[in-house]
Formats: sequence, C-alpha cells, structure tokens
Amino acid sequence: MESPHMNLRRSESPKRRGSRQAGIWLIALLVAPAIILAVTFKLVPLVRVVWMSFQKTQGFYEPSFAGLANYEAIFRDPMFITSFRNAFMVFLSLPVWVFLPLIIAILLFQRTPGWKAFRAIYFLPYMIAPVVVGIMFRQILAPDGPLNAMLIGSGLEGFAIEWLNGPNSALFALTAVALWSFFGLGVLTYLAGLSTVSQEVIEAARLDGAGFWRLLFNFALPLLKPVVGYWTVLCMSGMLIWMFPLVYAMTRGGPGSATMLPEYLVFITTFEFLNRGKGAAIGIALFIFVAVISTFVVRQMYRDGRGKSQ
Amino acid sequence: MNTKQKWISRRIGAFVTGAAVSLLLSSATFAADVTTIKVLNWQPGGPKYWAALVEAFETKHPDIKVELETVPFDRYAEVQGPYIATRSGPDVMEQNAGLELFDRRMGYIELSDDVLAAGDDLLGRVGGCLGYDLSNACYGLPFGLQGNVMYYNKQVLSAAGLDPENPPTTWEDFGAACDAINAIDKTCLALGMTGPFPAYWSFPEIARNFLTEDDIRAILAGDMPWTDPKMVSILTAMAEIPQKGWSNSNAPSISMLPDATDIFASGNAGFAGTIIADAVNWAAFGEALGDENLGAMRWPAIVPEAPLAKSFSGVESSVFGVTSWSEKPEAAAEFVKFIAGVENGNLLTSLGGGIPLNSKVDPALFPKSEALSQIREIIAKPTIHVGVLLSGQEVDALARGWQEVALGRLTVEDWVGRMQVALEDSPGKN
Repeated sequence: MESPHMNLRRSESPKRRGSRQAGIWLIALLVAPAIILAVTFKLVPLVRVVWMSFQKTQGFYEPSFAGLANYEAIFRDPMFITSFRNAFMVFLSLPVWVFLPLIIAILLFQRTPGWKAFRAIYFLPYMIAPVVVGIMFRQILAPDGPLNAMLIGSGLEGFAIEWLNGPNSALFALTAVALWSFFGLGVLTYLAGLSTVSQEVIEAARLDGAGFWRLLFNFALPLLKPVVGYWTVLCMSGMLIWMFPLVYAMTRGGPGSATMLPEYLVFITTFEFLNRGKGAAIGIALFIFVAVISTFVVRQMYRDGRGKSQ
Repeated sequence: MNTKQKWISRRIGAFVTGAAVSLLLSSATFAADVTTIKVLNWQPGGPKYWAALVEAFETKHPDIKVELETVPFDRYAEVQGPYIATRSGPDVMEQNAGLELFDRRMGYIELSDDVLAAGDDLLGRVGGCLGYDLSNACYGLPFGLQGNVMYYNKQVLSAAGLDPENPPTTWEDFGAACDAINAIDKTCLALGMTGPFPAYWSFPEIARNFLTEDDIRAILAGDMPWTDPKMVSILTAMAEIPQKGWSNSNAPSISMLPDATDIFASGNAGFAGTIIADAVNWAAFGEALGDENLGAMRWPAIVPEAPLAKSFSGVESSVFGVTSWSEKPEAAAEFVKFIAGVENGNLLTSLGGGIPLNSKVDPALFPKSEALSQIREIIAKPTIHVGVLLSGQEVDALARGWQEVALGRLTVEDWVGRMQVALEDSPGKN
C-alpha cells in the first residue's frame, strides 16, 4: 500500500519540484556565510583550544602532547580553585543583576517624572569602555577618593573603607562596578520587552488598585518571563567575561587572589607565565562551567516556550 | 569662454595634472625608499628623550622611519605576550635584561657579530646574552644602567626630627626613623605591592643581605629552592615592612608606579624605593620636591656584615632586540645598534635622566643634582640584580604573597610554599 506522502510526491509537477530545489539552494546560499563564519571563528578556535589544553608548552616553544597533565595541574593549583570560588561568589549577586534592571525598567515604563532623562542616564555607563570604567573607579574607590570623601562628609565614616584593599570588599566593589557598568543594557532589554505591552493595560491595572510591587510580580514578571530568562542567561554567561577588563584595570586579581576570576587567570597563565597549555585548560574549564549553569536556564526557557505554544 | 580664457584654463589643467602626477610619483618613490619599523617599548627616560632619540636616528638613517608603540611598564608583558604567541607585530622590542629576556628569546633573533660590535663601547652587555654569558647567544643590546636605590625627602625627615643629611643606614635605624615619621602622620616608606615592582624594586634590596653572588647565580639556574633558610629570611624581612607599619596601609592594592611614587612625590612619605633611571628617578622626584629636598641612598642594611649588603643591585637597564618575525631585520638591527651608540648615550644622559653604559659619553652632560651625585657613588660597587632573575610565576607569586601577608591572610611559611610551587612551575628554570 502506498503512503499518501508518496502520492503527494508523485503528484508534484517537475516545475514545482525545480522551484523547490532552487529554494533549497537559495536557503543554503543564504545560510552558508553564517555557517562558514561560525565554523571559522567559533568552532575552529574552540577545537584548537581543546587541542592546546592537551599540550605541554615550555615558554613559547613548540608544544608537545601532554595528555591530561594540564587538567591535573589546574586542579592542584590553589589559584584555579580560588578563581572559581570567586566566580561562584560573583554568581551569588545574580538576583540583583536580574531584578534591579527590571525594577528600573518598570519605573521608566510607567512614565515616572524625568523618565526620558533617566533612560539615557542609566544606559550611559554601558557606553563607556569597561577599561575606562575601571580606571575611573580605581580613583573613585581610592582611600582618599571621592566616594570615601562623600561618606565621611555625610557622617558615614564607618563605611569609608579601603574598598580595593580588603579581601572581601575588593570583590564586592568589583562586582558593584560591573553591575553599574552593565545594568543599563538590562534596563534597555526589559524596556524592549515592555514595548510590546500597551500602556492602557498598565492604566487598567492601576485603576484596579495595583501598586508598584503588584504590578511587578503579577503583571510584569509573567509577561516578561522570556525576557527575564534571556537576560538571566546573558548575565550568567557574560558576568565573568564582562568583568575581565575591570579586573585588568582595577585590581589585577588582587589583593592576593581576592578578585582573581577564571578569565583573568587564563590571561596571566598564557601571556605572563607563558604556559599556553595550562591557560587553555583553564579556559576549557571556564567554558564548561558557564555552559553547564547556562544550560539549566536555557532548558527552563525552552520548556516555558513549549508550554506557551501548546 | 573666449580663446584666451580657454588657453589659460588648458594651461591650469595641464599644470594641475602635472603636479598630481609628480606628487604620485614622488610618493611612490618615498614609499619604495623608506622602511618603517615598529618599536615596542615602555619609553624609559620619558617622552622628551624618546622624541629626540627617534629624531636623531631618523636623521642618521633617512631611509628608516620609526613608529613607536609605547606601553606602560607594568602592562608590558601582557601586551608583548600575544605578539610573541602569534609571532607577529613589532620589528624591535624592548625587554628587561635577564631571565625575562631568556624566557622570551623565541621572540628575538640571535644578534650577529656586526650588530654586537656596536656594543663594544658599553661598560657591560652581558644581560642581553643567554645565562649572563657573553659566549652564549645574545639577543639584545642595552643602553643604560638600571638598578635600585631608596630616595628620601629631607623635608619630611626634618619635620620628624631626623637628620636629613644622615639618613638611616641599618634596618634598626630605619625602624626608628619610621616610628618618627609615622608620628607626624606621614607614610614612612611609600610602597605599592601590585605588578612586577615588588620583585624588581624591593626584593633585590632585601635579598642582598642574605645572598652571595653564587646564590644569585643558583637562583638564575633554578637551583636555589625557596625553602632554603636564606630565601626564607628574605621573605621574613619583606613581611616585616607592612607588619611593622612602615608602609602605607593601601600598599597591597596599589602599584609602585604611579600610585606609591605619587605618595612620595606629593611629599607625604619619607622614603621610596625605586630606581636610578627611567620614569621615577632623581630627576622626576627632584622636579616634584625640589632638588635640594631630595636624597638618594642604599636600602638600609639588615645584615651589615653580609658580603653584598653595601653593593648596588645593578643591571643593564633594558635591552633592545630584533624580533624573529620581522620582515625588515636590517633596518631593525640599525635601530638596535643606534640604541647602544654614544649618540643615544649622550641623549639619555642629557634628556632622559639616565646613567649611560656607553663609556664614550661626555661626563659633562650629567645634570647637576645632589641625588644624582649620590647615585653615581652608590653604583660604583655593583652586584647582580636578583630581581630580573625571577620567572614570571615567581614575580607574580611574590607580589600576591606579599599582599596577603600584609593583609594578615597568609603566613610567611605559606608564602614560602607558594614561591616554591611557582619555582617548580617556571618553564625557564626546570
């Protein structure tokens, strides 16, 4: 017995089949540049880094195969452990990274007085090069810098500490500066999501007596769930990478190893210690770390998306 | 348009076309005749000296144009590393003499006898040769002498009730001086512990009290473990500086250059341990504090009877070499030869505040400065600079360990352990 599909295929005219094939070729042609770029600039470098992580490198001399030696070495290296512990500490600030921009976006969306100016002001830090931000905050956070002067002037002497000198305060200060620098992008992302919502819906909710927090939890969060998910993934995968220029400009991973993060460790291992194999192994560990934690959120987003479409 | 106007416009057209063609031809000729070389450097001696150096070189070699890529000293390794890893970039690179050069020698060509002959008038060039041995391959030529001294601010010493003409010479006296300076709310020793400065500027001055020249050679070869009692003594003495409150409290999170030197140059510290030439020398401090208020001395001796306690940790400043990937090695070699020459030595002396290595430099060119005179006395008895014999791993572990010791988060014993791991992880020493 012939399947209905076969009948359909048989009934397709040669002209239509030709046009379908031409369409496939056109699609392939349009997709090819993206695939070539992805393979050349993503896949090939990734494979090369994986390969390099199995190599023994003496300075900048020709590498030789080392098996898993670099991976064994990084797990014995206390600096590696510290860098991932610091990364984990940075991840603990994720709720702030996700919800602070959301709150601000909703305030702006409600047309709070001065919202146009605030929208620009909040986005401005994102437009400043991170290294410049780092240099700027190195001065601001200096013991006799403007922040401490302001705190002392306001009678808050107890809070005027040596921000970048304390083992805990340095990582806190670094994370806060990164948040200051990047949260404008989050605000913009949420505003883009909110732009699909009519102002009238907000007005209606308000007329029903909804306050700000009810608007946030009962209205904005459910409506913006995919955007929140997207921003969360972006933050999780980006936080550590975004912080590299700040570590470079502000602390160099110090004092001691208080602000050492995996990406900076890759950098100094490769280019200061001239150990490319070990640097590559740390890079792969970072890749897996970010991939694993991002996968949970992406899977959740995927499930949410499927639930919605059904 | 009448006939005359047409004639004039044709003449103008012909003139413009002719001028354009000649301009194109002359540009093409210029492009063909002039070789541009790129020089990676951290501008030792300052921008004024470097502008004069480039001008003098280009005048002597009109067929070579120099493009400078200048990087701050404490960022140099991070910028240079990718160039060497990708084997591309500048034609000439600057490098600290010693292990840093030996570790990165893959980035350089071995200099020919012809190029090395340009260094015949130098008082020393051994730091550019593998293992500090002139019979080995040499990768760079130096131009100046470099090393560590401690500067002092006579005004601060006077205000603290100390004799500015007789600064402390022993560790005990230094401690007493620090107590007096701290009592007037000033920092005693301006210190920054980040980057390579602890290894290059502070460590050698403490180490001289515990090591012999044979020990220093053993460090270069990787044969001196950090667990050796002498090495432990060095770290213990370094730890004392912040523990006794002799340095500024934010030392663990700041760099010597510019942060700590700013503390000294602003008159807020009694002492600063820096270098004899380059960016933070007697000239820069003299300008900031007044030449009459500045003095230079050896770091106070911890073990006065030690063989090297009264020596000067000296090294051929930096060396310049031709990169192994350069497509213009002849032009690059000319620059390296010029660096070692007397003409550059004169410029370094008169404009860069440096101490030249070229023996033919006119001594009358030395500027008048009491601190410089003191430095010229100190450098008369040099020894090997142990700081430049540490590997990148050791340099990093020394700085981070010192920071943590200063913050009370690490014991000297654990610091020793970390230094030993860094040594065992150093490719050039194993």
